[in-house]
Amino acid sequence: MSDTLHKSTVTIAPKKLHQLGLPILKRYTLAITLVLLVCVSQYLYSGFLTPSNIVNIFAQNAPLGIIAVGMTLVMITGGFDLSVGSVFAIGATLYTSLVVGGMGLLEAFLLTTLVGVAAGSLNGALVTRLDVNPFVATLGTMSVFTGAALIYSNSQPYMTSSASFTLLGRGSLAGLPYSIWILAAFMLAGQLILSLSVYGRQIYAVGGNTEAARLAGLRVAVVRGSTYAICSGCAAVAGMIMASRLDLGQADMGRNMALDSIAVVVIGGTSLSGGRGAVWQTAIGLMLVAVLTNLLDSLAVSANYQLLIKGTIVVAAVALDAISRRHT
Amino acid sequence: MGKRVAVRSKGLSKNFGQLEAISSVDLEITEGSIHALVGENGAGKSTFLSMISGRLHPTAGDLLIFGNQVHLASPREGRSAGIVGIYQELSIVPEMTALDNVFLGEIPSFMGAVMSSEMAAKYGELAERLNVNIDPRSKAGRLSVADQQILEIMRAVQFDAKIILLDEPTAALAPAERKALFALMRDLRASGHTLVLVSHNLDEVLDIADAVTVFRNGRLISTQPKKSWTKRSLVKAMLGQNVDDLYKRRAAPMSLSSEPEVLRVSNLTVPGAVQDIELVLRRGEILGLGGLVGSGRTTVLRAIAGAERTAQGDMVLMGNKRQWPRTVREARRAGIGIVPEDRKLQGLFLHMKSGQNIVISDLSTCTTSGVLSVRKLKAAASKAGQKFRLDPKRLDHLVGTLSGGNQQKALLSRWWHHRPNILLIDEPTRGIDIGAKAEILASLREMASDGVAIIMVSSELEELVSIADRVSVVSQGQSVGEIDGDDLSVNAILNRAFQVEELHV
Repeated sequence: MSDTLHKSTVTIAPKKLHQLGLPILKRYTLAITLVLLVCVSQYLYSGFLTPSNIVNIFAQNAPLGIIAVGMTLVMITGGFDLSVGSVFAIGATLYTSLVVGGMGLLEAFLLTTLVGVAAGSLNGALVTRLDVNPFVATLGTMSVFTGAALIYSNSQPYMTSSASFTLLGRGSLAGLPYSIWILAAFMLAGQLILSLSVYGRQIYAVGGNTEAARLAGLRVAVVRGSTYAICSGCAAVAGMIMASRLDLGQADMGRNMALDSIAVVVIGGTSLSGGRGAVWQTAIGLMLVAVLTNLLDSLAVSANYQLLIKGTIVVAAVALDAISRRHT
Repeated sequence: MGKRVAVRSKGLSKNFGQLEAISSVDLEITEGSIHALVGENGAGKSTFLSMISGRLHPTAGDLLIFGNQVHLASPREGRSAGIVGIYQELSIVPEMTALDNVFLGEIPSFMGAVMSSEMAAKYGELAERLNVNIDPRSKAGRLSVADQQILEIMRAVQFDAKIILLDEPTAALAPAERKALFALMRDLRASGHTLVLVSHNLDEVLDIADAVTVFRNGRLISTQPKKSWTKRSLVKAMLGQNVDDLYKRRAAPMSLSSEPEVLRVSNLTVPGAVQDIELVLRRGEILGLGGLVGSGRTTVLRAIAGAERTAQGDMVLMGNKRQWPRTVREARRAGIGIVPEDRKLQGLFLHMKSGQNIVISDLSTCTTSGVLSVRKLKAAASKAGQKFRLDPKRLDHLVGTLSGGNQQKALLSRWWHHRPNILLIDEPTRGIDIGAKAEILASLREMASDGVAIIMVSSELEELVSIADRVSVVSQGQSVGEIDGDDLSVNAILNRAFQVEELHV
């Protein structure tokens, strides 16, 4: 019997060696694209590669990146979360209102995060317990959460000018703004969870083949559902950072956050059908989008054209993913 | 003797709505044995298996595992009771490595972090113990079905499952792979595991099982040790009647060689799969494509049907040289139809009625001045269905709810409705019970005598030998010869198929 089994592996091995070059190239296509884009940016706009501009790029996009980390987890399980923009707004509004109301920064931060996680748990329960399609479930809760934030805030923005409030968004440590440190921490944690933890393996398994995961004895509903909770938690934190940057929390913030974060994840190469992806890929996706936005801004390309260009890139990224899959 | 009873069911029943799938089954399965469950499709054996594994919940009755009564609410609870089921739809995660797949349910970890080195070491031990040679780093989706199945068995063993349930484990395997699987099963039995096997292949069952239980219509008909069964008595118990030699070889009529050629394929090459395939097909003939799984048989069929975009070759169709068909639509217009390997995935619209599934291939004959006529649709469907003895009552049932045999009949009826000149059929009887199998084969024969030329791929070589007029053997993507007349036998096909294989290794 070892004979026959041996045979099958022997015939596979040479093929693998032969094809080794291509996947490596494919795997780093995105990184190479990023390097090229950076070079082009520097060429077109000489102020690009200055420390202040780079710090600015990251600080500006930190909230988006934090949401994208959570979105990556959700999407690897084969899910989708359209409600992150609303939770982002809830995070900003609730946090600001609590601080304005006199609560301590830390308490307000923790409570708001908790509310975010609760909102995500609702999404998770809808998707896993009631079997509502993630697209529909989160489309619905997007409206519900925005509505709740508008009612809570009476459609008015909360504003504060206390110096301590701006700490999260504008304070800095070792020369870098807190928001960048938080982004880095979320990215690192997300990547470590996915690549080194049992929970991470389970996320890939559930996304790669739900039935297989169920038959292997995984608690599929818990794994899938929890990613929504994490994702909304990320969105709430992102909202607080934004509020702290702007000194204000308003219920209609973050309108584009859902689409932007999904775009970042997808451009990074995480599969829409689940089972494939990584936070480091999302990080590259984020940098691509951020650099591109910065370049277009500095070239004074109008926001309307920017929309058009970014949309095209998202569709192209998904199409590329589909094409590369067809050939494997 | 003195061995424990691993699984005991008492009055175990399962209803799906009105339908009684299993009614009051009492069965004992001895520890350390291989116990086979056989029966026609819909007889209830897979349902029974799923209840033991916790995949389905019994409607009534008790289940005892090693003497302890259990109520298994999920496969997860089944696993904690020491039971692992391995089903036809393999449960591997294609994007993950072989290693990750083996440890899917139980990852060695320390405070939530995966311990990769321990995992690799355990994998090595396990592979050595089970005499398996699969690279742990290979992506599971790239492995053969046989290797994927072995991964699932490794997963079960590593989980320390005492009872392993196998639903049709050999259906998709080539003969050599079957042997390897059986050796593995015997090893597991020797180490005290209890194996429960569902199989349609009676020779296989009589070869490997210690005891065989026959199900019919959701009831347990008989449980006997292997030695008191014969193939004949098994078939009789399964069908409730005698069936004389289901695979009787039909003498090929000499007149066929004078029939006109409908298809001549030469120099057919699909990069990476097959090279320089040659074959000739005559009117009214059934040509078998023999060979091992992975030899390129299916690719040849798909290429002729226009489903392989990169296919190149010369095709002479009905005496006219023509361009190689690039799309399925093009091939269909030229009179070539294909019944794909996976009827559920590639063939049927599972949420439509079987009648609609039949006529969908050609709706033009079912219209009254351009508007679809329900009456005509029904008439056409039942007419086509008759050819394959599809029960007319089934025409109004959703095709997804029918048994495998009836699904296949519906699919074949669809092509009869469309009336191609050439019909390509991939594994027409996979996973289909023995009664429906005989009917399908007879209907194919009938279709051929009505003038349709058929090319058929089947892993069941016996079946191929019994029905084909000639068999063209493919090995490692190349034509390695043709066998016909009195020379046609399972051995002859295997010899051809392996000859080339040996030369290459």
